[in-house]
Amino acid sequence: MGTDHQDFVFTAELTELDEGLDILHRSIQRLREATGRTQDDRALMLFETALGEIGSNVLTHGRPPGIERPVEYTLRLDGGTLVASLSDSGVPVHEHLSREMPAHESETGRGLAMARSLLDELGYERDGEVNKWRLVKRL
Amino acid sequence: MALDVETRQAENGATVVAPIGRLDVAGAPALKDAINEVVKNGPSKVVIDMEGISFVDSTGLGSVIAALKQIRGSEGGELRLAAPNQQVRVVLELTTLDRVFPYYATVEEALTGL
Repeated sequence: MGTDHQDFVFTAELTELDEGLDILHRSIQRLREATGRTQDDRALMLFETALGEIGSNVLTHGRPPGIERPVEYTLRLDGGTLVASLSDSGVPVHEHLSREMPAHESETGRGLAMARSLLDELGYERDGEVNKWRLVKRL
Repeated sequence: MALDVETRQAENGATVVAPIGRLDVAGAPALKDAINEVVKNGPSKVVIDMEGISFVDSTGLGSVIAALKQIRGSEGGELRLAAPNQQVRVVLELTTLDRVFPYYATVEEALTGL
């Protein structure tokens, strides 16, 4: 087996919120079908929940007016490790990364805290004018 | 994918609100609209039938918290959740909101004593 072997790869460019979310969920469904996993697969379900959080943040805040660059998305399964990469053109978000779970009555602010809890690793880096997200979970 | 929301009156007078689809950042406004319609008519006892919700995110959850505050804020108002799938239960537990929203296995159980 070559070192570049990957079990599953899905790539897409996302430009709209509704359609972008559909594509993210569809990619997880494709992975389920490709690997014979069911809807009840817990690790994949946790990953999809985290992907929904980061994906909705990126699609909501990552396409400022006047910037045409789409959100770039890649999902890879390699040797049992699932990695999603998303890049967007929003403002830097370093100060939000360590946000804790808010109080029960709060209607917002849970997304990043949820994603951190659900993944083995949530990576973020600012590369020039681009935010790069990396979501990692062992399946 | 738009969220469809069906609303019906149960025999005991409570209102059953049944969203169908993903209750996420794109679907949450539809649930908020449906709850606004219900509470417009006065104090309400409401069950959200979650059986048709395939996926919830933190924004969708926020719309349920908003509904809870709106409904419990009126005298005699009460909100119960019924039939959440595994993903919805995981999100409720992860956020410890299961302590705020006791959920019922079925709509019929949620309606009992409401």
